[in-house]
Amino acid sequence: MDRESFIHLTKPAVTSSTTANPLQVVICAQALFAILDHSLRRSPDQERVIGTLLGVRSEDGSEIEIRNCFAVGHNESQEQVEVDMDYHKQMYNLHLKANPKEILVGWYATSPELNTFSALIQNFYASNGDGTYPYPAVHLTVSSNPGKDITCRTYISSSVGITPDRAADSCLFVPVPYEIKYAENERNALEALSLGRTSLDRQVSNIVDIHGLEVGIVELLEMLNRVSSYVSQILAGETLPSVAIGQTLMNSLSLAPKIDAPELEKLFNTHLQDVLLVSYLANTIRTQIDLSNKLATITGTLPSQPQKTENKRQRERE
Amino acid sequence: MAEISTIKSVRVDALVAMRIVKHATGAYPTTVYGSLLGMEVDGVLQITNAFPFPTSTEDDSSSSALTPKNKGVMWYENEMIKCLREVNVDANNVGWYQSTTLGNFINSNFVENQAHYQSKMSERTIALVYDSTKGAQGGITLKAYRLTSQFMVAYKENKFSSENLQKHNLTYKDILQELPLTLYNSHLATSLLHQLSIPPQPPSILPVSLTSLTNPPTYPTPTYPLTSNFNALDLTIDPVLEKSCDLLLESIEAHNTEANNAAYYQRSLAREQAKISAWQQKRKTENSVRAAQKLPPLPEDEWSKLFKLPQEPSRLDAMLISRQVEQYARQVDGLTATSSAKLFALNGGIPRF
Repeated sequence: MDRESFIHLTKPAVTSSTTANPLQVVICAQALFAILDHSLRRSPDQERVIGTLLGVRSEDGSEIEIRNCFAVGHNESQEQVEVDMDYHKQMYNLHLKANPKEILVGWYATSPELNTFSALIQNFYASNGDGTYPYPAVHLTVSSNPGKDITCRTYISSSVGITPDRAADSCLFVPVPYEIKYAENERNALEALSLGRTSLDRQVSNIVDIHGLEVGIVELLEMLNRVSSYVSQILAGETLPSVAIGQTLMNSLSLAPKIDAPELEKLFNTHLQDVLLVSYLANTIRTQIDLSNKLATITGTLPSQPQKTENKRQRERE
Repeated sequence: MAEISTIKSVRVDALVAMRIVKHATGAYPTTVYGSLLGMEVDGVLQITNAFPFPTSTEDDSSSSALTPKNKGVMWYENEMIKCLREVNVDANNVGWYQSTTLGNFINSNFVENQAHYQSKMSERTIALVYDSTKGAQGGITLKAYRLTSQFMVAYKENKFSSENLQKHNLTYKDILQELPLTLYNSHLATSLLHQLSIPPQPPSILPVSLTSLTNPPTYPTPTYPLTSNFNALDLTIDPVLEKSCDLLLESIEAHNTEANNAAYYQRSLAREQAKISAWQQKRKTENSVRAAQKLPPLPEDEWSKLFKLPQEPSRLDAMLISRQVEQYARQVDGLTATSSAKLFALNGGIPRF
């Protein structure tokens, strides 16, 4: 993901508000998908759409994990902005029922632009009462311009303005760092989804284990090639050697178990035979069940043949 | 019998897949339920949004599972759909999803829920089942199921006697129909996936020591690009296989219990029938004696008042268990297929010294 570099310093503790403390934002991939989906579903005359971000905040408030989001309708014109606050509240309550742990942490918009309306909305989300006060509200912008990279930016705000009137409708957006995270299961799902990223119809069908295996093997071979070409480059004196990398390679190579070939082959074959036997038994059980049900519908009795298979299997497992 | 439904396949949006995975992973190992939204276009059911069901409702605090049939859940579902309609989501309820561990989802609860959807909502609703245990091994195990129309007819009559099953030509294989499922990425999602898969830039400076290689410095910010992991290459499927076998054995056990019940019914039925025919025989001889004595014959159908035939137990449970056994067996078969392929491949590649 494209990111800008910026420096983030803790302000000296002069103000009582905690809203400008640096914090780390973690975005779950799922929320991004939801935002993009919302962006696709906006009406043609809408420049951007907004929604509420839900997530978890660490105890000291220094880390925010954006886990979920929902869309909120809004209307923007030259002069004014209207956000459906009742809708926001209703949706928020509904979401809380399903996921009591995920609380309000901020809002998103699907345009990288920040304008006066952004400040107004930001101040609502960060406000006392319905908002995230005393914690800062996170503003996430996800650009979804066709033909461009999808860029995310996360901001928190700090109030500016001399009079309370001015402060109410303006704020200073402070960029904060973020990272995109996914759990192991989500990662697997993403991988399956990304199989379709190169196909024209953007679909993935026939999700089979073998596919993952193939991808894994190809990747592994690539890595091995990279390592071996690197090593031969060093041997030829073309690149600078690195002790650390050498040591790591050495360590990995020494992980190979030292068993003599016949022993290894024997172990292998036993394991293989076990696996094949289990597979055979599973198929036998299927046949037995089929047979048992066929007989059952004919005579009205369920003969208890599977017993035999079961005993066999138990013996095998022991 | 009407043709089986108009839905021929199911197309699941990336968003839906991710939502279900997240919901199931967050609550693992509890089974979670949720609602699916979308629409049907030319026989393809496009599922474009999903939301989880609440974990508890105010009006019903009983410990019963919060399944789609629950009143509170139905209220929640309607409210949520009403809300989502306002932000241009395809606000048609097209089914529900549930998570499972190792495919143990075929039970009366599942059938009840899906039957509820198919009878109350529309014929064109489906159940998505996500297997979170297998999901941890790589890939995504998402399956779409619906009840067949034959089963629905029998279910509405609520008669699962052997006679009825024979009449409808219904076997355990005809309970569920699996629909082909494709995953679908929108253009923006495709773009995002491409960006997530850009491999990290190799560092410009070579690492100076082992520790700096294993614990890379925090700057530049660590990214988690979507490079593939090697879970699929893992050889040890034993824990999963063992668990599957355990479940398989359990369901065989249950099947045996059902079989014994059926056998018991059969025996008592035979016994009663023997008694009845003995009684009828007796009555007949009595009547022939009375006929010889010119007396009016005694009625011959009194037996139905004297004897009670045992009720045939419902065969639904037995059918579901059979289907579950089949599911497990298939699963074990699938697991061993990949595993043995890997083993054979590896065996061929081991250097022989």
